[in-house]
Amino acid sequence: MSITLRGVSKKFGAFAAVDDVDLEIPTGALLALLGPSGCGKTTVLRIIAGLETPETGQVLFDGRDATLWPIRERKVGFVFQNYALFRHMSVFENVAFGLKVKGRRERPAAGAIRNKVQSLLELVQLDWAGDRYPTQLSGGQKQRVALARALAVDPEVLLLDEPFGALDAQVRHELRRWLRRLHTELKFTSIFVTHDQQEAIEVADTIVVLNRGRVEQTGVPGDVYDLPRSAYVHRFLGQVNELRVKWHDGRAHLGPIDITGDPALDAYGSDRIALVRPHEIDIGSESNGWPAIVRDVRVIGPIVRLELCADGRPANEPLEAEISRERFDMDRFHIGQKVGVRFRRWQVYPAAALGIGRAVRG
Amino acid sequence: MEAPSIAAGCDVSTGRRLRKRGPRQGVRWGRFLLIATALAFLAAFLLLPLLVVFAQALSKGAGVYLSAVSDPMAWAAIKLTLMVAAIAVPMNLVFGVVSAWAITKFQFRGKSALISLIDLPFAVSPVIAGLTYILLFGAHGWFGAYLQEHDIRIVFAVPGIVLATLFVTFPFVARELIPVMQAQGKDDEETALSLGAGGWQVFWHVTLPNIRWGLLYGVLLCNARAMGEFGAVSVVSGHIRGLTNTMPLHVEILYNEYNYAAAFAVASLLALLALLTLAGKSLLEWRQPELRHTVHLARATTGKQA
Repeated sequence: MSITLRGVSKKFGAFAAVDDVDLEIPTGALLALLGPSGCGKTTVLRIIAGLETPETGQVLFDGRDATLWPIRERKVGFVFQNYALFRHMSVFENVAFGLKVKGRRERPAAGAIRNKVQSLLELVQLDWAGDRYPTQLSGGQKQRVALARALAVDPEVLLLDEPFGALDAQVRHELRRWLRRLHTELKFTSIFVTHDQQEAIEVADTIVVLNRGRVEQTGVPGDVYDLPRSAYVHRFLGQVNELRVKWHDGRAHLGPIDITGDPALDAYGSDRIALVRPHEIDIGSESNGWPAIVRDVRVIGPIVRLELCADGRPANEPLEAEISRERFDMDRFHIGQKVGVRFRRWQVYPAAALGIGRAVRG
Repeated sequence: MEAPSIAAGCDVSTGRRLRKRGPRQGVRWGRFLLIATALAFLAAFLLLPLLVVFAQALSKGAGVYLSAVSDPMAWAAIKLTLMVAAIAVPMNLVFGVVSAWAITKFQFRGKSALISLIDLPFAVSPVIAGLTYILLFGAHGWFGAYLQEHDIRIVFAVPGIVLATLFVTFPFVARELIPVMQAQGKDDEETALSLGAGGWQVFWHVTLPNIRWGLLYGVLLCNARAMGEFGAVSVVSGHIRGLTNTMPLHVEILYNEYNYAAAFAVASLLALLALLTLAGKSLLEWRQPELRHTVHLARATTGKQA
């Protein structure tokens, strides 16, 4: 089922949670709504589910206006952040719930319900847990029960609110891969909400970045990461170093590096900030580039993260650089070493877009 | 779980934890003192009076006890009390569930006013509650003339007693349910809706099981108060023996007639009824340990993992 949002807005009191949002979600998409807390992503999800009614705008399901459809007629599966399993029911009864509450004419026979629940429990690898109660399960298992329960009523859309938020890193990683596989197998439209850019990039086909109730950028994960359309998106997806552009003698500089001619620089003396991702920094010999001292070295598996105190920058705002393990093994940088820093890529934004005077994020 | 205190340090050479005696000993004493205080208080203010009731009731022997309890007037009082509770408790159960549901699951104007209204019977003296019914339905009250014309008796009759009891026991169920339902949030209900359940199915299969212990506590409190209410009922009852005398009123009459043994005998019946309801609750919990587990969860926040 394809879903379209047209000019959807929703206020809570004076606070505009969702502000004139347009979205086009094709059938079979796996889409992430990404943003910090309070950006309106959960409200968008709840509007699609029918748990909230927008004040203006339309929600279309397969082109039909579904704005006022009650939730039970939408054929959506909704999975809550805290799973919302029915505590007094066993795992089996939880999954069977959606089938048992159907009207007498639609309801499958008891045997059919049993078979369906059993196959769903196998799908989520919990066929051994049918008699358990939710309190006896781990977080990851509860999450899978919640998914199986949502899938039991054959939804055409699966909506997940921070589905992996409360799980530890290892389980989260496994469940992400598992959800991707499930999506590929079952081919329904899935929309999930997350504040974790890593998760959005790893799982989704399409990322929608939200900011203060508005859509900031939509695109495939690689594009949103590489070609951010605003400083907000640039900073939200991945780590960045922030560098104030300095002007003297008619030229623009990041430290000693001349960036005059960058199309985003605008008029002479304008207040601009450049964002550089850690992996866009090259480290070489001291004579080559911006002189800096290595302050910290962390080997993190295949990558090595260095903290660099660049000449002329405050000591509490070190540059963060990431180089490959192979590159590191060639030069063996060590703490206290003098090096030269160069930028392979950077992007210039008006300082006002970032909030002037903010400390550099690591 | 123990937070390391600054006084305690680590012996690096052996890795053994060095501990000073003082603070640990202090904790033990503090715990003992708290438990002892609580137990002494319970014994003095709850257990002792209960024992006195039964001791006094049986002080003149079992024969006096039995005759006091089987006296026709006592029987009438017992039946009336049970009947009033049987009407008031279910009505306030329905009202309590409905209002707690409305307050915790919906946003609407006048919500805080409704919450204050529910608390009103706690704030107002029961005697005043009784007097307002006299003012409304009494012979010289607002509806007095109309009621006399149509030969409807409310004050100094059973309907007045039921009304007064309803008023006084109004808040118990709602007050017990509101915090439980607030802690649980709407996620379970919304999930059930998204799975295709109708409103009544959601209530019956999801909400009610989630709140059943809170509901039971509320009903027990409501029932205890309905059977034990004195002030409001005393004002509207008229103290007609065998007709409008409830158990508490009957106890008072016997007491005022210096008939102590009989007064305490009926009082002991009231106490027994209360103990029976408590025993019933414990039995339910004991029979279904799995449920006892869930009520603690329900009372804690729902977001935490078990």
